[in-house]
Amino acid sequence: MPSPVIEVRDLDKRFDRTLALQGVELTIDRGEIVVLLGLSGSGKSTLLRHLDGLETPTSGSVRVLGEEVPRLRGRRLRALRGRVGFVFQQFELVPSLTVLENVLTGSLARLRGPRLGLWSYPRRLKLAALGHLDRVGLLDRAYQRADTLSGGQQQRVAIARALMQEPEILLADEPVASLDPESSEQVMALIREIAMDAGLTVVCSLHQVDLALAWGDRIVGLRGGRLVLDTPTEGLGKAEVMEIYGRVATATAELEAIETELADASSEASPERAEPLAEGAGR
Amino acid sequence: MTALAPAPHAATAASVAERAPKHRPSPERIAAGLTLAALVVASLFALNSLGISLPSMLESWSNAERFFTRVGSISFPEPLELVQLTALTLGIVVTGTLFAAICSVPIAYLAASNTTPGPGWRAAARFITVFTRALPDVVLAMVFVLLFSLGSLPGILAIGIHSIGMISKLFADAIEQIDEGPRRAVRAAGGSKLQEFTSGILPQVLPSWVATVLHRNDINLRGSVVLGYVGVAGLGLEMSHAFKSLNYSLGLGVAIVMFALCVLMEIISSAVRRAMLHGGRASGGPLAATTVEAAARRPWTGSRVRTTVWGWVTAALLIGAIAVCNIQWGDLVTVWAKIPPVAAQFWPPSFGAYDWTRMSGAMLETIAIALAAAVLTLLASIVIGSFAARNVAPNPGTRAGARFLLVGIRGVPEVILAIVLIVITGLGAQAGTLALAFGGIGLAGKLIADSLEEVKGGPERAITATGASRFQRYAAATLPQGAPAIIGHSFYLLDTNIRAATILGIVGGGGIGYYLLNAGQGSNYGVVTAIVLMILVTVLAVEGLAMWMRRVFR
Ligand SMILES: Nc1ncnc2c1ncn2[C@@H]1O[C@H](COP(=O)(O)OP(=O)(O)OP(=O)(O)O)[C@@H](O)[C@H]1O
Ligand SMILES: [Mg+2]
Repeated sequence: MPSPVIEVRDLDKRFDRTLALQGVELTIDRGEIVVLLGLSGSGKSTLLRHLDGLETPTSGSVRVLGEEVPRLRGRRLRALRGRVGFVFQQFELVPSLTVLENVLTGSLARLRGPRLGLWSYPRRLKLAALGHLDRVGLLDRAYQRADTLSGGQQQRVAIARALMQEPEILLADEPVASLDPESSEQVMALIREIAMDAGLTVVCSLHQVDLALAWGDRIVGLRGGRLVLDTPTEGLGKAEVMEIYGRVATATAELEAIETELADASSEASPERAEPLAEGAGR
Repeated sequence: MTALAPAPHAATAASVAERAPKHRPSPERIAAGLTLAALVVASLFALNSLGISLPSMLESWSNAERFFTRVGSISFPEPLELVQLTALTLGIVVTGTLFAAICSVPIAYLAASNTTPGPGWRAAARFITVFTRALPDVVLAMVFVLLFSLGSLPGILAIGIHSIGMISKLFADAIEQIDEGPRRAVRAAGGSKLQEFTSGILPQVLPSWVATVLHRNDINLRGSVVLGYVGVAGLGLEMSHAFKSLNYSLGLGVAIVMFALCVLMEIISSAVRRAMLHGGRASGGPLAATTVEAAARRPWTGSRVRTTVWGWVTAALLIGAIAVCNIQWGDLVTVWAKIPPVAAQFWPPSFGAYDWTRMSGAMLETIAIALAAAVLTLLASIVIGSFAARNVAPNPGTRAGARFLLVGIRGVPEVILAIVLIVITGLGAQAGTLALAFGGIGLAGKLIADSLEEVKGGPERAITATGASRFQRYAAATLPQGAPAIIGHSFYLLDTNIRAATILGIVGGGGIGYYLLNAGQGSNYGVVTAIVLMILVTVLAVEGLAMWMRRVFR
């Protein structure tokens, strides 16, 4: 009997003037692979951030792994974050550290005190980190600086870092939006493979309908901070997803925006968005 | 702000000049402009009042000639003693800088807007950075010499505490400019605040921290000679003793050693900075290992060997520096009992035998020295800096020559130059001003050259296209675009000059420093406090002015 690992009830989030999330209800069972689909600004990142306690709700409840996340503080919040892996769109590796040390930072929640330098981590964890690097196919890069890798490789390192947490849930916020189509394909396949092997629950935000349909077991659609779609992908076509979007879109302008966005998203996975990071790393 | 043109019917009759919109700068800009003009006038008066002119400089040349015939040859301390003194000087400077470097980490953490735990902490940390920077290290040394009497601790603590301000300010600036992403990733993985700092932030700012610390170490070595005048052991003390006992040949010998030491240190630290910048990114290629166990042994690639060797060499040098100081650690325990009586001697502030007009006159002379030096530096740096700018220099050779000249000047320790000039020309304030002015050219010229190279190329090309000459293009397009930055650099220069000018008097360069040294040597500590308060007010006022000007003319 599957038990829910994520339960979001009537979640509202307001930033100054914008209502980023309104009345979101979402239940996800252990082992599910869920795609969050939505246009830019629809609240995907905000929802994911709530699940990891990186954002506090304006009202409503967020239960993750049996814990009421907004109530957690200090050590207990960090312990929960340790059980939930998070993969970012811009990878967010420390450019000047080696690949291996970046992976090791995933184990910080289980360690006490500050760490800097490979020697400051126990050998047991180093072996585990190398194992995860092997899993993502980058064992040979272990001692290279993170900023000497390509975007796709960096995202695989970030996945290894999340695996280092030995997470029960993996959250991914547009993990391939900064990558070219080929690396996107690789990274998404990798996440799915790992999730299946380890029985992970995955929530991944995307904005390409095609990719979402091929990749997820279930699609959850957000629009303007509201949940407008929640359905298994089996037997679902792109046209139907578009239609659901169309039904809930109120203005024609909005419909057009959806169409261009969806067309753009599936035709090109904007690699130019990776550039600011590369520049930052060179500093 | 611009006003609208007059009503249309009047416009037909009115001339173009009348119809043109009126330029109305903001009141703040007007005030800043007037202040700027007043400062330029004040600088010219300062030059005049200090008696800096070509004839007087020529006259001082004959003074110098006479001096050298009188002194004869230059002599050095015994070789063994020389080695000991050099080691002690380096040890005190390095240990002091290290102390500041360590203290600066928590202070910068509290002072940076993105890491501070709260506004109260931030204000406290900012106060420490501003205050320690404004308090001259010589004054700190005076106090610590009283507290510790003998040994190296007074020098270490004076250098250390004074350096905290600059290092933590630059470190905090670096922390504020980090990429927040890696830090967010550590937080998302469940890291604590401290782990966020060490794993997410520190690796990003470490290179800039090391560069700042090395730079500060150079400054401290240059300044350490003045600490000798108030009793801090090392080459500076040896030199001040020699000059006091009129043993000029030995004094000059020590000055030459000190000079060489500063140049050497500068070469080493810039080599280290360059190696860090370029070598830091070196990265071994892919690993040959195919199993996890094999990969656990990190291969000894060239870059790993280099990093390890240099790491151990650095550690050995730092331990050596501390060991050479032969620190009386016990003093750090017993000193607390001495603090109340010593503090009581420094309070209340008073002018003692001096009166207010005398002291304010001395302070004004210090300000005059700083202003005059700044204006001389500026004139020279605009000329040299322009030739050092790629878009102004007539050919690459000229640029390279000018850049080389600037690097050379930057290598000259200005305090030691001031001491030597004062001794051999017999002129106090003038020699001090010239030394300060010369020393400033190195940095100001580089900053100006960089700013001129950063101006937009479009306007320059447009002016060239109208058929203007090189010089016309420089005056019409390059200089106006670079002007705000040059004004900013000028105030930075004034800010550092004021700090330097206050201590110049200690080595005979005129101004308030002379009275400071006198009061300290005569045990009139109330007077020391009064003078320090005057210096603090002046330094903070100039710093505030500099910040304001840089904001207005950005
Ligand atoms: N920290 C914040 N402060 C103010 N407004 C915010 C903040 N974070 C998000 N928002 C707003 O909340 C809304 C939802 O943003 P969110 O980042 O969750 O969208 P998204 O679906 O992830 O979009 P994208 O596809 O562009 O990443 C937007 O209107 C955004 O401007
Ligand atoms: Mg987003």
